[in-house]
Amino acid sequence: MKYYLKLGLILFIFCAVASGILAYINTLTAPVIAERKALAEIQAREALIPNAEFEEKESDQGLTYYLAKDPETDEILGYTFIAADLGYSSTVQTMVGVDSEFKVLGVQIIDQGETPGLGANCTLPIFTNQFSGMTLEEIYVDKDGGVVVSLSGATITSRCIANSLREGIIDVKDEPNPGGEQ
Amino acid sequence: MNFAKELTKGLIKDNPIFVLVLGMCPTLAVTTSVINALGMGFAATFVLLCSNIIISLIKNITPSKIRIPVYIVVIAAFVSIVDMVMAAYLPALHKSLGLFIPLIVVNCIILGRAEAFASKNNVVMSIADALGMGLGFTLSLSLVGTVREIVGAGTWLGMRVTPLTYDPALIAILAPGAFITLGFLMALMNMLKEKK
Repeated sequence: MKYYLKLGLILFIFCAVASGILAYINTLTAPVIAERKALAEIQAREALIPNAEFEEKESDQGLTYYLAKDPETDEILGYTFIAADLGYSSTVQTMVGVDSEFKVLGVQIIDQGETPGLGANCTLPIFTNQFSGMTLEEIYVDKDGGVVVSLSGATITSRCIANSLREGIIDVKDEPNPGGEQ
Repeated sequence: MNFAKELTKGLIKDNPIFVLVLGMCPTLAVTTSVINALGMGFAATFVLLCSNIIISLIKNITPSKIRIPVYIVVIAAFVSIVDMVMAAYLPALHKSLGLFIPLIVVNCIILGRAEAFASKNNVVMSIADALGMGLGFTLSLSLVGTVREIVGAGTWLGMRVTPLTYDPALIAILAPGAFITLGFLMALMNMLKEKK
């Protein structure tokens, strides 16, 4: 009996030391990781709508979006937001930029964990570039009657990205006053 | 038992994939392309090296009855550390390898070598074993990845290698293709061995 208690205690010590080390490293790295992520988001936003001033807003549905304005004329250049939906094996997050008419300016996949070689190919420019210039009605994958050419062998991933884009655009478009007080 | 022998046995004689048949989960999952295979191979080699060193160091204070849970704690802790440190300080590398890091926990090569080798040998030999096994694992993964990428996508390391008229057989990069490719390569390996 005593022997088994001893074994348990030893295992406990190993686990405690391991958790301690992990917790310590987490406190060191978590802020750095968060900072990098925020920076990457800002860069993605600026790449989609260059030379704009961004203003953070929240839609009625709880989606955080950014209103892009020309810093000089105050003209609305467009909106950016992060569209997210469940793909085949992960949540795919896409940074989307649309102009003031809600036509897509560009998209960038910022986080995904899809199958390498299949769904993970959604990050490639050959897939993301096709969205530029699309209107809300066009953003359906080809199998659903739209113009989005799905990745071969990864229709689920392609569909989830198209759907999340559409939902996000509708969300921002339906805001009673998406551009603020004018 | 010498250093060079431990270093090279992972290539053919004790090849982790084709002979020991260890680490099948990542082998089947990530060999859709050569670049993924290389990424997984190097990430696993690194964790294998670290865990072999630690386990060989603590082998005398680990009671044999609870050695497996202790090894798993060591390996899992290592994988998490590698994941966090890489995400924070090597974001570019983490972006390309990030997906494979959590998969390493389920890679039984690491646990297999901890149990079969590092727990019975000194640190230097464990390092040789980890490097040899890691290299053998990486090369074998690349071989499977090469076959699957060429047949299934018509490319090698992202470059087109087949004529444009070749219509890639998509099944090769889907899950069944992994089993088929692995079966053929294993048969080929056994055939070569028997001839010797």
